[in-house]
Amino acid sequence: MRGGAVTTGSLLERESSLGVILMLPGALLLMVFMAYPFFLGIWLSLTDSGIGRVGRFIGLQNFVDLLSDTIFHQTARNTLIYALVTVPFKCALGLGLALVLNNRMRFSNPVRAAVMMPWIVPTALSTLGWFMIFDPVFSPISWLLRHVGLISKNINFLGDPGLAIASVCWANIWRGTPFFGIIILAGLQAVPADLHEAAAIDGAGLWHRFLHVTVPHIKGVVLIAGLLSVIWTFADFQLIYVLTKGGPANQTHIFGTYAYQIGLSATEIGMGAAIALYMFPILSVFAVLLLIYLRREE
Amino acid sequence: MVGGETLGRRTLDIYLPLAFYLVFLLFPFYWMSIVSLKPTNDLFEMKYNPFWVQRFTLENYRYLFENTAFPEWVKNTLIVSVVSTIISLVCSILIGYALARLRFPGSNFLGVGIFLAYLVPPTLLFLPLAQVIVKLGLYNTYWALILTYPTQLIPFASWLLMGYFRTIPKEIEESAMADGCSRLQILVRIVLPLSIPGLLSAGIFSFTLCWNEFLYALIFMSSGPMKTIPVGVVSDMIKADTLFWGSLMASAVLGSFPIAILYSFFVKHYVSGLTAGAVKG
Amino acid sequence: MEKKTQRKLSRREFITTGAAGLGVAALGTLPRQVFGGQAPAVIKGTKLAFLQATYFIAPAQDLFRKQVEEWGKMAGVTMAVDFLNWPDLQPKIAAAVQAGGVDIMDLWPGWNFLYRNSLVDLTREAEEVGKRGGGFEPYVLNSGKVGGRWLGIPNGYSNASMAYRISWFKEAGVANADDGNKIDMTWAEYFAVAKKMKAKGKPFGQALGHSTGDPPGFCYPYMWSNGAMELSKDGKSIAFNKPEFVDAMKKFVQAWKDGYDETGTSWDDSNNNRAYLSEQISSTFNGSSIYFAAKKDKPDIAKDTHHILIPKGPAGRFYWLETRTTAILKNSKNVAAAKEFLKWWFQDEQYNTWWRIQEGYHLQHVKKLADDPMWFKDPKMTPFKQQPKYGLNTGYAGPPNEKAALAWSKYIVVDTFAKAVQSGDAKAAVEWGAEQLKRAYGV
Repeated sequence: MRGGAVTTGSLLERESSLGVILMLPGALLLMVFMAYPFFLGIWLSLTDSGIGRVGRFIGLQNFVDLLSDTIFHQTARNTLIYALVTVPFKCALGLGLALVLNNRMRFSNPVRAAVMMPWIVPTALSTLGWFMIFDPVFSPISWLLRHVGLISKNINFLGDPGLAIASVCWANIWRGTPFFGIIILAGLQAVPADLHEAAAIDGAGLWHRFLHVTVPHIKGVVLIAGLLSVIWTFADFQLIYVLTKGGPANQTHIFGTYAYQIGLSATEIGMGAAIALYMFPILSVFAVLLLIYLRREE
Repeated sequence: MVGGETLGRRTLDIYLPLAFYLVFLLFPFYWMSIVSLKPTNDLFEMKYNPFWVQRFTLENYRYLFENTAFPEWVKNTLIVSVVSTIISLVCSILIGYALARLRFPGSNFLGVGIFLAYLVPPTLLFLPLAQVIVKLGLYNTYWALILTYPTQLIPFASWLLMGYFRTIPKEIEESAMADGCSRLQILVRIVLPLSIPGLLSAGIFSFTLCWNEFLYALIFMSSGPMKTIPVGVVSDMIKADTLFWGSLMASAVLGSFPIAILYSFFVKHYVSGLTAGAVKG
Repeated sequence: MEKKTQRKLSRREFITTGAAGLGVAALGTLPRQVFGGQAPAVIKGTKLAFLQATYFIAPAQDLFRKQVEEWGKMAGVTMAVDFLNWPDLQPKIAAAVQAGGVDIMDLWPGWNFLYRNSLVDLTREAEEVGKRGGGFEPYVLNSGKVGGRWLGIPNGYSNASMAYRISWFKEAGVANADDGNKIDMTWAEYFAVAKKMKAKGKPFGQALGHSTGDPPGFCYPYMWSNGAMELSKDGKSIAFNKPEFVDAMKKFVQAWKDGYDETGTSWDDSNNNRAYLSEQISSTFNGSSIYFAAKKDKPDIAKDTHHILIPKGPAGRFYWLETRTTAILKNSKNVAAAKEFLKWWFQDEQYNTWWRIQEGYHLQHVKKLADDPMWFKDPKMTPFKQQPKYGLNTGYAGPPNEKAALAWSKYIVVDTFAKAVQSGDAKAAVEWGAEQLKRAYGV
């Protein structure tokens, strides 16, 4: 392959230079609008800067201070719950969805588009819908359960300590399920039909076929989707911001919302940047896992 | 698919679970729609069944079109989404192809670097980024978003396309090269036409994210008529401690609609694009 | 030189307003000669960008926009006003402080401290406004100055009080329920009514979620009226964990069970409005927006609604009250024009029209307006009129400053209440709050 470069001498033909040239436009955008501000952000986290106030360099002081902040502990715990507990649910529900959609049926395109809705509409708007559904007084869920006699008091979806985090997780599962569904569906469609038929002829049952034909084929996509989902959920912001702003009593704060509260509302931008950067090592673990997996597949 | 299927069996296996999923995933949209069709006073009237519209009204939609700049927001959102999707696609095609097919110094490093861009949340970036935007004179122009959105899109799109390009047999390219085609000609004439589903997936993905973005849109471009749909809706439909639920939900419905239609046209390609790209990548 | 013209102008303005009266000025469309016939050439052809929170009183927002445009036309300045949803203000301001793009903005209580390094000193302009209005209200003096300087011109604050249903309070045996102005309650009395009302299925409601208006508006005064405060007078220690406050917190926890809608832990500023207007609760702490919304859409409820002053405790009666300020950003490229505009807008003719159209939703910044005829139009708004004299600032007994704003934006006091009612352990909650305050204030 390398020999191909010899034919013309131009930059565009030599693999090494062409590669760099092709990378350039995207890389440039990422450098200017992502890498540069990102390093500015790291610098901020090492200072006691406020908004509109250039701070002094204070080393790792912000990071150390956070270690003894009980709200930060709570935030870290919440984030782990939010990111790790929701993924198995999204995955299981997504798998079920994919298996259902993989059948031949009428209106399959509109149905697929419809079930994608939670994933594709603006979160800022759909979460407002959930905000209404979780309303402590006017929740339709409470109304229904009250009318069939299952409960006597309205459910305090976003106000009870355990329920609040469960409710935001629920909304997150709702939003993420279609993503898993569609990715796994893509995986299912890559399973050659004759494999199933061959297994069926051999007398393999449905479960057996699922386990030995389907699962090996979709293992990869599930893993990728899962890791991506953990990463995205970990760094989430909008959903919680609209529903609870981290309340009540910080029971739903995650890194993003806490960083926002300290960095923006309280203008302690250095500290806020430090909170956000605490995400980095944990996210990196998942990102490295993902990279290792992808590399191995190659 | 194998063996005899009775209608009863199909109902149990397919339609029942499907019904469950439709209710689970679409109920919030049902809720948003009926709220948007009710007069404000009925919304919080406890004697009514909340799941149904007692007194139908289009007032909330009328308000949206007559009292707000909704059409303007749609235009802004469209311009920004379309242009930044195109920019992201072009960049991602080039990056994806380079990483999939070319060996060049630093390619590993660059590949990992672009992948890591996933891990940088906008909440961390937007303050320093605001300075960059202002220094470049982009503040409150379409360019502020058109140039920053690709940073959120390129990592995923180029990764997806890279996977897709790898599935195209090398032999096709090699024989074209033997015929005297240059790399770029191969990319444009052979690789891209073979990658339409992958391009569609990446394009739809990018468009969706642009359409939905909130924080950058709020900060870099929210003055006067230069708002996008999510920002405009939230700042015009929430007045102090009163929420205009009807209009809020009406705009949520209208804001979601174009995306849903887009998907119903392209969902097939989207899935097959993911199949070849993300899945095998 | 400049000073002299200014004074002359304001005197003339004063006379015009007096003569024109309320009705004529209502739309603010009288042609005015602010610059003696012509705008200074320096600001002609420039641009000004404004940032304000969306208004609850829609006509006031329209009026403000109109006034801005009117001045723009006179001065030959292109004006752009942006009204934003409350929670979205801060990210926008933060970006503007860092990067520019906005000239004039409306700052909420405490923000003049948070952004102190980025604001233009408007001491002269503010003093002028104060003098013209017979002096600023004490709460304004208390919270508007940053290190002895005015970094924005105070414009007052839209505060809250207790709204209640007249007929239901009557049923609960509250004397003088017809006239909130005659009711003077202690917390114990107020909670007793709550208990009776909850038994009838119409509890009280109070927001305790992470929201910037009603939760702190309730929690800080309850704390102060029960003898606790964030900082001691000398500013050297936290005065939050006091036995009398723990005791009061226990009473609140009990009242929450007996008399409140217990879902309030998740309520934000808007939940209690909805609950009240749909007749689910009989009383709540809120701005007059409930009453105004009812007047518009549910006249029966408006008729049956009155306001009382916030209840008093052993240590007295208090409101959390700090002024909003209209400030100019240092990085504005057009400070001169911005100053000219503010000087014009804070003239009685503009400001008072804007203030009156809000019918008491917005508290006055200067003493002269304390007995303005506007306050006597609707006796149901009188409890709001009295608030300025009960105002304390966040951080009390210390000064309002960045640290107080930090404690406030971390919702430490609010979360103490939420924790107490969730866990039922008042003592542990107050201890937690004291610990957090210690961190925030660094004492």
